Amino acid sequence: MTTIASMTNMRLKFPGVESLLFEDFSLSFEKGEKVLILGPSGSGKSTLLQVLTGLIPSAVAVPMKADALTIPESWGFLFQDPDAQFCMPYVDEEIAFVLENLQIPREEMEQYIDHYLHQVGLRFDDNHTKIQTLSGGMKQRLAIASVLALEPELLCLDEPTAMLDPEGTKLVWDTIKNVGNDKTVVIVEHKIEQVVDFVDRVILLDENGTIIADGPKQQVFDQYKHVLIEQGIWYPGVWEDYMQDKSRHIPQSVNTEDAKPAVHLSDFSAFRGKVKALQVEEARAHPGEWVTILGENGAGKSTLLLAMMNLLKTTGTYKIFEQDYKRIKHLAEYVSFVFQNPEFQFVTNSVYEEIAFSLHLAKWEQEKIARRVDEMLKLYYLEDYRHTHPYQLSMGQKRRLSVAASIVKEQPIILLDEPTFGQDAKNTFAILEQLEQLRAQGTTIIMVTHDLNIVKNFATKVWRMEDGELVMESPAPNDIETLQPAVIS
Amino acid sequence: MAMDFSYKETWLHKINPSLKLLIMVLLFIHLLMIHNTNILINYMIGMLALYLFFTGHPWKRLLVISIPFLLIFLTSSTSMIFFGKGEITWAKWGLVHITEESFFRGLHLGFRGISFAILGIVFALTTRPVYLFYSLMQQFKLKPKYAYSFMAAIRLIPLMIEEMQTLHYALQVRGVQGERGVNGFYRKIKSYSIPLLSQSIRRAYRIAVAMEAKRFSNHGNRTYFYRLGFSKFDVIFLCYLLVIIPLSYVTATHFPYFSITDVRFGS
Amino acid sequence: MEKGLKLTDILVTIIIALIFGVIYKLWGPLYGVVATLGLHLEQLIYGMWFIAAVVAYLIIRKPGVALLAEIAAAQGEFIFGGEWGVATLIFGIGQGLAAELIFAAFRYKRYDMLIASLAGVAAAVASIGIDFYYGYIGDLALWNLLILFGTRIAGAILISGIFAHLLVQALEKTGVTNLVRPATKEDYQALG
Repeated sequence: MTTIASMTNMRLKFPGVESLLFEDFSLSFEKGEKVLILGPSGSGKSTLLQVLTGLIPSAVAVPMKADALTIPESWGFLFQDPDAQFCMPYVDEEIAFVLENLQIPREEMEQYIDHYLHQVGLRFDDNHTKIQTLSGGMKQRLAIASVLALEPELLCLDEPTAMLDPEGTKLVWDTIKNVGNDKTVVIVEHKIEQVVDFVDRVILLDENGTIIADGPKQQVFDQYKHVLIEQGIWYPGVWEDYMQDKSRHIPQSVNTEDAKPAVHLSDFSAFRGKVKALQVEEARAHPGEWVTILGENGAGKSTLLLAMMNLLKTTGTYKIFEQDYKRIKHLAEYVSFVFQNPEFQFVTNSVYEEIAFSLHLAKWEQEKIARRVDEMLKLYYLEDYRHTHPYQLSMGQKRRLSVAASIVKEQPIILLDEPTFGQDAKNTFAILEQLEQLRAQGTTIIMVTHDLNIVKNFATKVWRMEDGELVMESPAPNDIETLQPAVIS
Repeated sequence: MAMDFSYKETWLHKINPSLKLLIMVLLFIHLLMIHNTNILINYMIGMLALYLFFTGHPWKRLLVISIPFLLIFLTSSTSMIFFGKGEITWAKWGLVHITEESFFRGLHLGFRGISFAILGIVFALTTRPVYLFYSLMQQFKLKPKYAYSFMAAIRLIPLMIEEMQTLHYALQVRGVQGERGVNGFYRKIKSYSIPLLSQSIRRAYRIAVAMEAKRFSNHGNRTYFYRLGFSKFDVIFLCYLLVIIPLSYVTATHFPYFSITDVRFGS
Repeated sequence: MEKGLKLTDILVTIIIALIFGVIYKLWGPLYGVVATLGLHLEQLIYGMWFIAAVVAYLIIRKPGVALLAEIAAAQGEFIFGGEWGVATLIFGIGQGLAAELIFAAFRYKRYDMLIASLAGVAAAVASIGIDFYYGYIGDLALWNLLILFGTRIAGAILISGIFAHLLVQALEKTGVTNLVRPATKEDYQALG
């Protein structure tokens, strides 16, 4: 076997951080290996890939030293954010950018562009298509196509599906397996269900950037399962283990025969500009219900939430506890909203102030605010970060903070737009448990999600959206398979 | 996305972008040296014809875009009309002192402003940024790292505007809109600019790293996907100007609108 | 260490500049409305047009950034169809150079509010210089010209000095600026 990439006694430090991220770190990869690197956030997984390819220090000026470094002659790098990989506005121009870098003659470019698009299964009537019109999954496949144009021996993948829905995730991994078969592939990922069959070696890092385990996948998975759980890795079967461990009952459909609905929509429509973007014939949500809104991308799920928050122009009936929403002076007293991107909701400079913000606005007394905020900090595991700037938190902490800050006034209705999106298993369960607690106390939860396991294990009701219309209201099935065809197809 | 306007491609689109830019700059300098309002008005009409008939954009859009032109006229002229130097007084109220000279000088500035605006908008409406930067690399040897950075950054703008909408909703929900006073205003500005700036900086940084991961480097011998050379359309454009500009001088001498031929004070 | 600006520096500078380019574009009509009053109140908000240079420099802290940012912002305003057309580019170059000179005079070692304000003032002076040719401002009544000077400079200090500095300070708290700040010698020494 030949070594394709390696590092010996690598040391690396981020500017302004006290300690070294890596200290005398050695690792090597053989030609043709398929390797999965696992580790908690902050363990330096992504950084490791950047050292491996020489991006550090050539493109990213991070102080780094090593006794020896072998960097493969040709490598390709697939990044996480579909919107932060491209420098050109059109599909053909983006691949041409790579071809230009490689000084491929102009006359041959069209042919190469077709070739690489074909390899990743993308077909357009005209390759001069706007990248912005593509779905996340298609963008990532386009990114793979432009990486393939480099004809890489080594393929580095840095959580390439972290920002995709299940359908996009599957398509992207299928493509990677297809094109990566004859290459050396190093993958950083925490959603590993799709990857497990593909890799043969697993490297497990801890939060200090030290290798805990490195070996054949079965061996590592068997011996270090507790570490996987601890780190919040989405390994296959994580849901089963979680449900078993908690031995919690699946919430049954709440008996709502006589109860007053918390939300009642009837012949309700919403408009974006002048275009009708939403139609709901009839839908109800009762106290203690957990409604999940399902549907494909663009089916109008987020629009429904925005309309219920009165952020869009609407017509028809929308009642909150049998009161017309137009009669309610402060809708925010009844309904809270958790957006998909937590950062957009942050308006202060510290975690403490963030939670206190709405209470200040509501003119609570200082003492009462302090008590309530402390309570929330504890409940959402943010006590140690009360003075931290919200932006400096980890992904999971940001999400918990955005939930805490939204629901601090204990509004009886909570709207959430994919709150578990991009979260690791540990954080996902933490958020779900907190929501479940609220639900048990009678809060109505209405949540957009793509995760059918949440529907199965937490929801009591499903609203299905298609083409801007709420087409079905049904109790949440206990059997996930009954949902699958309708959602995935 | 709102920025995606469709249009018909005209000969103005096919002019070499670098040449177009260079000519725009030369016209700008030339315009600064015209002090005769009569010439300027004819000149402006010549440019207006380009805007009205040859950009390939629909009438309605052209009309909407031209609304600020009027504003430009006012902003460029009013201070000069009211407060400019001059000897032949037309009116005087307190500090306001309108003289014949200041009036015409103001008028001149207004027309000049409109001329710049028309030239600029003609350029903007008929030039795809990607072609402009490809051309600048090829004709003016602009370094690729600047050119591609521009193209990458321009791509991010529509994305940012979309995010702004979401941000607007999120802040509305948090109740930021409701705050009053200087503090409220400052917080409002901050709560828009900080998320947008930090998100954009992070994204730009990642794109730069991704570009280098695709072996982007700064050497000049790239093979360009688009080759931008010169064509008959460049000649047509030059001919147009070579007819219009002398024509505006000739007609200004023979059929003047006003008797003043130099609006500068003391000339 | 590589000399000059790295691709990351350039791209980040340009995106910051283009964001301000959009604001510059929107600022035009606002300026127009205020300006029709004729009393140079509009000059108080003129300072917005210098902010890109200052903000980009305060974030990235490297030579050349201020000039690049101001040109890029002007270029942005231009290609988004700004009302002043090519004039914007000329002003952009002048203002960018002026701000850059101030930062260079302090050898790119200072990033405080005073230096930001000075750069704003320098950019204002440069813009006034160009305006002598562009707007015949020398032909304004003297008192009126002095008001124009005063208000434009005051606006520059207010917006591209004080406000720009506060904005970057707020941005620093989010940690995002660490991405583009160069590593120090100490950081390298810590590797041993």
